[in-house]
Amino acid sequence: MINFGVREVAMSTVPDRPGWAYVPDTGLNASVTALQPTSRKRHRTELVGDNSAKQDAKLLRDLAALDRESHRDVSIPVPVRNRDNAGRVSHGKVTPAVRKILQSQKTFGNYLGDFEAHVAAGTQPVSLPPAPNAPRLAPIPASATPFKRSHKKKDPNAPPKEPLRKSSMPVLKAESSHLPIQNSVGEEKLADALDPPPHPRDKDPLLRSWIPSIPTQEEIMKLLTAPPLSYNKAKGNWTEDDRRKPVRQFCEVCGYWGRVKCMRCGGRVCALECLNTHKEECFTRYGA
Amino acid sequence: MAPASHRTKSSGPAPPSKTLVLDNGAYTIKAGFSSIGGATEPKIIPNSIARDRDRRTYTGSDLEKCKDFGEINFRRPMEKGYIVNWEAQKEIWEHEFFENKSELYCEPLETGLILTEAPNALPQLQTHCDQIVFEEFGFASYLRCPGPTLNAYNDIPHHFFKALAREATQPLLPAEIVVIIDSGYSHTTITPLLQGRPIQAAIRRLDIGGKLMTNYLTRLISLRQYDMRNDIYLVNEIKEATVYMSKDFKADMEVTWKGPKGDRRPLYETGGGIGKDYVLPDYHNTTKGYVRDHDPTNAGKLKKMQTGKSAEAAEDILTLRNERYAVPELLLNPTDIGLRQSGIAQLVMESLSCIPFGLWPGFLANILVVGGNANIEGFLWRLNDEIRALAPTECFVRVGRPEHPIISTWNGGAELAKDVDRLASMSITKQEYEEFGAGWVQRKFNGQ
Ligand SMILES: [Zn+2]
Ligand SMILES: [Zn+2]
Repeated sequence: MINFGVREVAMSTVPDRPGWAYVPDTGLNASVTALQPTSRKRHRTELVGDNSAKQDAKLLRDLAALDRESHRDVSIPVPVRNRDNAGRVSHGKVTPAVRKILQSQKTFGNYLGDFEAHVAAGTQPVSLPPAPNAPRLAPIPASATPFKRSHKKKDPNAPPKEPLRKSSMPVLKAESSHLPIQNSVGEEKLADALDPPPHPRDKDPLLRSWIPSIPTQEEIMKLLTAPPLSYNKAKGNWTEDDRRKPVRQFCEVCGYWGRVKCMRCGGRVCALECLNTHKEECFTRYGA
Repeated sequence: MAPASHRTKSSGPAPPSKTLVLDNGAYTIKAGFSSIGGATEPKIIPNSIARDRDRRTYTGSDLEKCKDFGEINFRRPMEKGYIVNWEAQKEIWEHEFFENKSELYCEPLETGLILTEAPNALPQLQTHCDQIVFEEFGFASYLRCPGPTLNAYNDIPHHFFKALAREATQPLLPAEIVVIIDSGYSHTTITPLLQGRPIQAAIRRLDIGGKLMTNYLTRLISLRQYDMRNDIYLVNEIKEATVYMSKDFKADMEVTWKGPKGDRRPLYETGGGIGKDYVLPDYHNTTKGYVRDHDPTNAGKLKKMQTGKSAEAAEDILTLRNERYAVPELLLNPTDIGLRQSGIAQLVMESLSCIPFGLWPGFLANILVVGGNANIEGFLWRLNDEIRALAPTECFVRVGRPEHPIISTWNGGAELAKDVDRLASMSITKQEYEEFGAGWVQRKFNGQ
């Protein structure tokens, strides 16, 4: 038990005693907001179980602790010996924009907050700097589809890039929904190249009557050119189906099903033995 | 209105002869070079500045010199899967790529860069990245793209679904249709790709990744056995060595149940095939721990004491039972810790709900899991099972993973970089950046 920095908290005579406390409450922070739905409406409907406000606060605190990099705040400076950049490629003068970025102490939560505030206010979320070498009146393209640029104002004498462009365009043929499966079946290598190769489940009666309609080219293009969702909008939901299912509860002491609820704190335990263990912890935390 | 490109095949600068493929993960960077002639093996570099309890610091790959991970702390440039702190990220990149003695030394002015980012990044952070790449490092050309998309350039049918290999003479074409589930340190994302391009509206994120699972295991061990809260590095190793995804959660719960009263059930005592002992390193004689089947008599410890070694030399053992499967279970049941999100299987269906039904058969038959968590034993089986239960019965469901899920994204990037013309059509050059600016770069990469 010596010399590797792990402190034993459970006495050998009382192996199940939980000598462990949650990290101190540091209040709600950005990481909690990032973990949990932000809109009030969703928050109301997404409470897990029949929790009291006190239990909800504990839940958020626990989730925030699980999201942390380490349980203590650590600050590790960049090693001093490297500050003179000896032996490194010289990147030349640091531009003001780069200096500002390197000095920024903002967290992800700060940036996310800025972004959402701009979206709410309907303003441009990013202040974009001008092009470093651009002449004063250089036209800044307003097109939202910059990939098309080479099709438009291209030097007419330049060699056409069409074949390359085409190969990167989404051209889905009618049989495309079969394609991945056909690719995966090695035995089909002798199949007539003119016909779609047979599929191992061709005789499956379920497949016979089922022909999903393949989306049109326009539909595909629409899918592929839609802009990215914001960070918050891309967060996976708690689906309606899942909300209808009972949430599983576990014993806080041993991890078995949490069938018993502590009357004092609402915590879950499996049975009497773990309840007794829990009560000692509960007492020290909340008092009599 | 679009700017006329000055770079044409006849007059513009030739594309750089080699490309640095940089899959910049929050836990590790995967980096190496690729060119027409071929690619190197990627190097896996801790994306951190670490400090041990003797206050020695280790930048990036220097961590391999560390012998004592007790109470070690880490500063990570990335938060939530995105580069946030450029002071630290620049220091690590400088150390790995721009010092004369760096194994992956390169001269950015003569090198192209493929840099991954997590999907749904904040525009401000993307612009910071673009500015650093060009204004500070000055790479000759640059492609910033969502990491999952690069997987499409691997030979997916061959490597993951055992079909015929792509002919070497065939031109590179990205996989026609595939869903990439990328489960890493910060989170898990679901990205449907058509011919290598993401369907942005269908990308979904589960806020559970390796970090949260390690922290959860730390909590469980600290509650039940030792306080490990200052040894998260070690807990991560324990996690990687012991966790598995249960095929039958309820049955496993019964096997690992200790029993109703003070007496322990025999099945619990023996471990029932689930219990494992992890022998902790002492960072004195041993720097790495190891796992073995649970030994109810604790024979290892006794034996050591009998051979005359002091009690201090005896092993310290953690016994893991329900912790082994309760931790990865969070990927499929986030509400087990009260997180109000559905699990990966449901989120795959939520993602597909944004896509025309006609494409579902193709996506459901080509689901590829990449990232470190793809290595969790039993994960693919369970995921396949759960998606099967949710998908239309007419659809064939197939979940696969590459042989090396951690470097799969990098490998895809290396494949892309071998096709110089295709990469050039997707990249922007330093000259274009200087002419058209950061806003133009942002729009070009978004249009992808
Ligand atoms: Zn219990
Ligand atoms: Zn209680």
